Amino acid sequence: MKVLGSRELLADVLSKELCIGCGACVSLCPYFKSYNGRTAMLFPCTQERGRCFAYCPKVEVDLDEVSQKIFGAPYSMEPLGRSLSAMMSRAGKKAAGNNYQSGGTVTALMTWALLEKLCDAAILTGREGLNAVPAIVTNPDDVQNYASSKYTSAPTLEAFNRAADLGYSRIGVVATPCQVLALAQMRSNPMAKKDFSDPTSLVVGLFCTWSLDYRAFSRLVEGRVDIKDIKKFDIPPPPAEVMEIHTARGVIEIPLAEVRATVPNSCDYCFDMTSEFSDISVGVVEGRSAMNTLIIRTERGRAAVDAAVKAGYLEIEDMPSDNLARLRTAAGNKKKRALKKAAGEGIINTNGDSRSLIRMEPKNLAGI
Amino acid sequence: MSYLFDTNEGARYLMMGNDAIVRGALEANVNVASAYPGTPSSEIIENLSKASQKRNIYVEWSVNEKVALEVSFAASIAGLRSICAMKQNGVNVASDFLLHVALSGTRGGAVLLHCDDPGALSSINEGESRHFARMIELPLLEPGDFQEAKEMTKWAFELSEELRSIVIMRSVTRLSHASGNVILGKLGAPEGKAQFKYEAVPGDADSGPVITMPVPPHHALLQEKLKKAVAIFEKSPFNTYTGPAKPELLIITCSACNLYSREAVHLLNAQDRVGILKIGTTWPLPPKLIARHLAMTEKVLFVEEVLPFLEENVKVIAAETAAEVGIKQFYGKNDGAMPTINEMNPDIVVDVIKKILGIEYIAMDEGYANRAKGHLIARAPVRDLTFCPGCPHRASFWNLHNALAMDNRRGFVCGDIGCYTLGFLPCGFSTMKTSHSMGSGIGIASGFGKLTQFGMDQPILAVCGDSTFFHAAIPALVNAIHNKSDVIFVLLDNSGTAMTGFQPHPGTPLDARGGALPTIDPAEVCRSLGATVEYADPFDTEETQKKLLALMREKGARVLIMKQMCALSPEKKGKKRFEVKVDQQICRGDTCGCSRLCTRIFRCPGLVWDNKRQAAVIDEVICAGCGVCAEICPSGAIKKTEAGR
Amino acid sequence: MKAGNLIHDPYNAIITGVGGQGNVMASRILGNILSRKGCFVTIGETFGVSQRGGSVMSHLRISKQSVWSPQIPRGQAHIVVALEPTEAIRVLAAYGNPAVRVLSNTRPIHPVGVIAGELAYPSLDEIRTALGDLASDVALIDATDEAMKLGQAILGNVIMLGAVSGAGVLPFDAEDFRDVISETMSGDKVEINMKAFSKGEEMIRALRQK
Repeated sequence: MKVLGSRELLADVLSKELCIGCGACVSLCPYFKSYNGRTAMLFPCTQERGRCFAYCPKVEVDLDEVSQKIFGAPYSMEPLGRSLSAMMSRAGKKAAGNNYQSGGTVTALMTWALLEKLCDAAILTGREGLNAVPAIVTNPDDVQNYASSKYTSAPTLEAFNRAADLGYSRIGVVATPCQVLALAQMRSNPMAKKDFSDPTSLVVGLFCTWSLDYRAFSRLVEGRVDIKDIKKFDIPPPPAEVMEIHTARGVIEIPLAEVRATVPNSCDYCFDMTSEFSDISVGVVEGRSAMNTLIIRTERGRAAVDAAVKAGYLEIEDMPSDNLARLRTAAGNKKKRALKKAAGEGIINTNGDSRSLIRMEPKNLAGI
Repeated sequence: MSYLFDTNEGARYLMMGNDAIVRGALEANVNVASAYPGTPSSEIIENLSKASQKRNIYVEWSVNEKVALEVSFAASIAGLRSICAMKQNGVNVASDFLLHVALSGTRGGAVLLHCDDPGALSSINEGESRHFARMIELPLLEPGDFQEAKEMTKWAFELSEELRSIVIMRSVTRLSHASGNVILGKLGAPEGKAQFKYEAVPGDADSGPVITMPVPPHHALLQEKLKKAVAIFEKSPFNTYTGPAKPELLIITCSACNLYSREAVHLLNAQDRVGILKIGTTWPLPPKLIARHLAMTEKVLFVEEVLPFLEENVKVIAAETAAEVGIKQFYGKNDGAMPTINEMNPDIVVDVIKKILGIEYIAMDEGYANRAKGHLIARAPVRDLTFCPGCPHRASFWNLHNALAMDNRRGFVCGDIGCYTLGFLPCGFSTMKTSHSMGSGIGIASGFGKLTQFGMDQPILAVCGDSTFFHAAIPALVNAIHNKSDVIFVLLDNSGTAMTGFQPHPGTPLDARGGALPTIDPAEVCRSLGATVEYADPFDTEETQKKLLALMREKGARVLIMKQMCALSPEKKGKKRFEVKVDQQICRGDTCGCSRLCTRIFRCPGLVWDNKRQAAVIDEVICAGCGVCAEICPSGAIKKTEAGR
Repeated sequence: MKAGNLIHDPYNAIITGVGGQGNVMASRILGNILSRKGCFVTIGETFGVSQRGGSVMSHLRISKQSVWSPQIPRGQAHIVVALEPTEAIRVLAAYGNPAVRVLSNTRPIHPVGVIAGELAYPSLDEIRTALGDLASDVALIDATDEAMKLGQAILGNVIMLGAVSGAGVLPFDAEDFRDVISETMSGDKVEINMKAFSKGEEMIRALRQK
């Protein structure tokens, strides 16, 4: 990938409303800031090559190049991405807490990682009202405060950048697919720094079909719910077609169609449902609300899961093949939809001076 | 300032034009003086207030020009002599009252002194107030040099009393702010007892109620006064002619242009060919005097600033007397010989006389001019206007800009005139998007704030200074609040009328002489109108931005007072709060992660770029020690320590 | 010179610098000195918003005959006194001529465009060359640096006035300077100003002897 500067980032991403607000460009310099779910550029910067561009998951990402760096192999069109194994999991007996979205796998794993010093800091995302707010967490007991799904897009990597700047060198990150892609680029040393070392020790990716624009979602929810009362969000399996907002006064349902209208455009181009560039990816299991799907992608991911199981923080089971097949179909459909849209708009593999959104082997696009 | 009190008649001083006006008013035994500050008029009241420490004069910095004129008018109808000073656009503010004063007439000598600013050297308009004299039907005087500025001021009071009319006197920047030698006249002791007599019938000039009705008879009386003025002006010593009896070219000029015309004739060595008719009484023009001079020549050139005021009025007389004086060839603004914008100078006058008379004159050798131009372009980098080092406005606009950018809804700032007008430039991060007359920022914002029904969803902010707040912002703020307009009003409170030299205003505890006065707190005013009021210190950038962002999430009229004293204020000037240093080892300079934020964007004159070391460095001579750059440095390379520790 | 004659009549002096350098103060002091010596003096100044980081220029017309225009005509300056060196170049482009003399401070004040990296600021050698190309006589002195040694950078303007006196182009000396400043300044202030003035006289003489 050719690393360019903030001018190009502005032209290719921000002004095209492709920014998802992941925070990858924030806290590196004084020019990019996250506020209320949006990333803003305060002033023009004159650097011709910048980390903001290098890390952004919505600039021209060369998928083969990133995949080579993370997996030592080119990008795979396999709907769930490259993986070593897939299973079901949940928090083990040693893990405390009960405010999980489903199986509590992520909370248990990150608690264990901090306890066992696999990670010197964990980058997690909490919630203030409807806003998703990232944090640098170093105390294992605090991890559970960040459990449960946020739904609004979050500038999680802003906290990651701060942690790296503070000198943490074994950072654990819990991230959505776009954030995991940005992390994969950061970990690839795109600025070709001489004394570079990967500051992450564990990247836990989440399954994600879309996120919500904080500002649009706020406008939708304000007046229906007292924001301070919100305990948890949930989207029950079909055919419910609602979002549940759990509050102290009961559950409020909002039709899913209205919620979907607040999904940012950017998500329409996302081809990754399961965080394909993570060490481990975690999501729900259809029909098994107390369990998680767990996909192990890298050796260091496998080592972490094995150790956490051994230590009693995680329990695992085999994944029924039906479930895996349905997951694969869903992920494949998302990939096809996104690539088709991008291809239709001519922003895959453009030539000459114009820059695309995605760069990948043309043969991968044959069936799209 | 000894010229203020020097009773030595005939003593000679080097004086600014404004000082000459002050001395003239003192020699006229002025009793009351009022003004709102405005460059280039402000020194008049400042120096009269110094004089008031030894003489019985009431001097007031009024809340705005209209009220200032009302204050000095009261003195006039109480039988005292009064002067009211303002800059050109101040006359617009005062004009409604002026229209009525013309009809009602005056008693004690009343002078409205306005200083125009051709070329807008210190203004955001090039308004010419002479037209008010014609429009409102009042006599207008224009001094042609420094001595005349004094003599004419003194005479203006006498003229006013003779006519029972307010007299307008017009100065310009190049007289008011220039200096020349002035010989003093007699300084008496101020006299006069103030009493408003109203016992006689309405319309009685000496002791009736002062009202403008019934209008037509009052209007007729006003026009009688102008006729009387014409008769006086025909013989006025302020209208002078210098030159041959039959000049090839007659220059008709007034004000500072008199000096430019004289200089030009001298440079061209054309004293035998060109005559200069300098008019001091420019409205109503004395037609016989004008006709007499028109008859001397075939060619007439008008030299004046800015619009063709003399030119058009003389042309009316020329048309009316054409049978007697003959048809003239006129050169001036209407035929394009002279510019109708910007200020004049001797070179413009030289160029036009050269062309008319076919005189050879080279101001600068072409080879020299080209070399000089080359050096200018290559070695004299342009100096853009910027906020002073340590100026609170730089920090305020930094906060406004960043909060608006983070909010990311294309919000903007409406402003008006003050030092903070520079907020539209890069030194204010180009944050201000409208700038007009005083108080108009909040007025325009009030209008923007009602456009939501047409889909407007941008946050709307208005800024104004603390003095401007009292001058003209309050009615607009009332309007915004009453009409439920969604605006944030930011008061940039730097504790004084900074731009014109720290004159007090109703929010400060001093009068023009430094005596104690009760203060009016803008915050209390805003609260009483029903606005929520927050405070912020703009030097605390993080906190201020947080407050702005929070206010932008709210609806309705909101007020934020950003309070920090002007860096040039007597309290702060020359005193550094912090010693500021750049650790050049830590400075990231022109690399990813900084890209020269402080020098490239923040641009304080006290923080410069060290090209050799590729890092920022403090210029100790210029740095005012505010410490804000230490707040904004992304790498912590700029260190501040409390000075004197 | 001390006899009170003028080399030219009117003698046209321009004092230039950047807002905040004490330009107006210097021109008024010089004007008052010469007015007291019986000259007609006219000073044209610009200040107000132009002070905010911009170029500030005072025109002095000194004459035994009459008042002159507060603006010097193009190409008619006899001396340019610059409190900031690039300002001397700017002034010469409008008012210079081959016979003009230049007395300039060496200390740069970077315009914001230079600070921001959009414009270049010339080296002192380039400035010297440019001034030499445009003036008959150029004297560059480190007025601000000397003023800082006296404890106040602002005294650079008084050092430059001392240099004007030392250059012998106008009929005034240190005592004339003392007379004028004593009217408005307290005793200790007068002394530090006298020191600065003498320093300027000294510096210009030392430069001449080289």
